[in-house]
Amino acid sequence: MTPFLDIQNIKKTYGATVAVQDVTLGIGRGEFVTFLGPSGSGKSTTLYVIAGFLDPTEGDVRIQGQSILSVPSHKRNIGMVFQRYTLFPHLTVAENVAFPLRVRRRPNDEIERKVAEMVRLARLETVRDRLPSQLSGGQQQRVALARALVYDPPVLLMDEPLSALDKKLREEIQYEIRRIHQETGVTILYVTHDQEEALRLSDRIAVFSQGRIDQIGTSAELYQNPATRFVAGFVGNSDFLSCRIDRVEGHSARIVLPDGACVSGVRSHGTVRAGSEGTLMLRPERVRIRNAASNTTPSENGAAGLSVTIRDITFLGDNTHFAVETDWKQPMAIRVPFGRAGAEGLAVGDRARVDWVAEDAHVFAESANG
Amino acid sequence: MLLDFDRLGGLKWVLVGIGILVSAFLLLPILFTVALSFGSSQWLLFPPPGWTLRWYEELWADPRWITSTLTSLQCAVLVTLLATGLGLLASFGLVRGRFAGRETVRALFLMPMIMPVIVVAVALYAFFLRIGLGGTLIGFVLAHTVIALPLAITSISNALERFDKAIEDAAILCGASPWEARLRVTIPAIRDGLFGAAVFSFLTSWDEVVIAIFMASPTLQTLPVHIWGTLRQDLTPVVAAASSLLLLFTLAVMLLAAWFRRRST
Ligand SMILES: Nc1ncnc2c1ncn2[C@@H]1O[C@H](COP(=O)(O)OP(=O)(O)OP(=O)(O)O)[C@@H](O)[C@H]1O
Ligand SMILES: [Mg+2]
Repeated sequence: MTPFLDIQNIKKTYGATVAVQDVTLGIGRGEFVTFLGPSGSGKSTTLYVIAGFLDPTEGDVRIQGQSILSVPSHKRNIGMVFQRYTLFPHLTVAENVAFPLRVRRRPNDEIERKVAEMVRLARLETVRDRLPSQLSGGQQQRVALARALVYDPPVLLMDEPLSALDKKLREEIQYEIRRIHQETGVTILYVTHDQEEALRLSDRIAVFSQGRIDQIGTSAELYQNPATRFVAGFVGNSDFLSCRIDRVEGHSARIVLPDGACVSGVRSHGTVRAGSEGTLMLRPERVRIRNAASNTTPSENGAAGLSVTIRDITFLGDNTHFAVETDWKQPMAIRVPFGRAGAEGLAVGDRARVDWVAEDAHVFAESANG
Repeated sequence: MLLDFDRLGGLKWVLVGIGILVSAFLLLPILFTVALSFGSSQWLLFPPPGWTLRWYEELWADPRWITSTLTSLQCAVLVTLLATGLGLLASFGLVRGRFAGRETVRALFLMPMIMPVIVVAVALYAFFLRIGLGGTLIGFVLAHTVIALPLAITSISNALERFDKAIEDAAILCGASPWEARLRVTIPAIRDGLFGAAVFSFLTSWDEVVIAIFMASPTLQTLPVHIWGTLRQDLTPVVAAASSLLLLFTLAVMLLAAWFRRRST
């Protein structure tokens, strides 16, 4: 089955600089897909190609099997909410929302009905006769959302629409966006560099790095099974330890840590080759910490561990944060849920043992994405 | 602030004094002219021995004053339309365009602003005579447009630079063609700049005298040229009356502009 919105092999170059390349992504009807990535990774470029403001150097964009590249922006019937405030300054809220219907020369009664519907959907009843200059940032972006949805576009693009708002307001509008997505069933492509926002909103996330998509998947997939070291670092918190790869069998590797400790059964990702340098990745909440003096043997099956020195302890209510340092001076963060046994009595400066279940460890090739 | 007016002490009064003197120096001749236009003395005696409206009556009775005023108005309105329209197009090109030599083109457009008016006047005079535009209304309008255009372009370009292009892009994605987006969104959004350009253009033409003297013919004169010509022949209070009317009209335009601006914000 061909996807509803099909992005095929997009490449965009500016002279010698490559803004994006090999961007391929199929999006189902009604899906909420987020482009997540750091600044300059090519998220906006991809969005602008879909919107028609940029012509791709290579590749194609299809909606329901039809290429839209030769269709000019204003005939693509795509909705978009921009990062900056883009309301028409001389028109009221209601007139802004009505604008797409006015340029489509729709009859007045239809315009009135649809505007009323959108004003209700975006909860703008109390401000519908105000000018944009009389609105807060959050209200402006809600009007922009209503304006982008009033003509029932099959696809809605959103380029960091909340980045100018403060955290509390951002969360409030994220919730509104989710609700509106559920109510309208519109297909949404959302851009952000805020992982929390991506995790909260999306059905699937495409992680961008240096002009490419590193991985596409649900939040859980990205978290449990990051394809690259970059994704591991960008989605959720991670500890990275340098290591040498000793042996690889399928997707399982044995690695050697700088102190000589051998760990087997580590999940390997990408092109990990025996004998090369690698990076071991652990999630802070999957690592256990206990007193080095306590003479309990490594308990569970296949648990691996190492000795560390505690540098800092922060009590955060439902969990405690340990900042520790390995014997070869690499920092690690460990989060221990409140009430978990083993970490009692630990103090700054103490020696401690940390360990983890083998399958919670991931190893990436050193070269892949720095 | 480094210089706080309230903390200047005695110096404060010195400053106030200088301010008053400078204002008086600039404004008194104008008030003087207005007073003379109502004075009864044929020889412009000051203070006037009595008051009269006679000079305004004479002004009204003389068709040359009326025609020159109408010529001035006609010329100023045409210059306003032309300079604002061209200024809008030029500003789009200068602000949005990405072409080699853009800065040079911009400099050329703004050149008449820094050139001595007399140089522009002589050059245009010679040129217009040759192509048969000397002493015609079109000649007046074109010549004044040349000097009004830099002001119009500056005013509109500034507004266009402050206007976020993303707003126009948003209008295009909403379904407006690029031209429709400019007409329905960009132009209304920069209307302050357009209005400023119109006012500047109007006033530039309305009280311009140097170029107008070169362009004028015995049958086609603007009001400032006629004032100048009359003044050279005989010193009559009618000139003062005409000057006062010119001033009144200029003030009215400025006040109207200020009122519009206040209303639109
Ligand atoms: N007009 C241009 N000329 C040259 N390079 C450009 C141009 N526009 C974008 N780029 C480059 O393309 C790359 C991708 O830019 P893009 O705007 O897509 O990033 P982004 O992921 O949206 O970043 P941000 O989060 O900062 O918005 C960047 O390295 C940028 O420098
Ligand atoms: Mg961007």
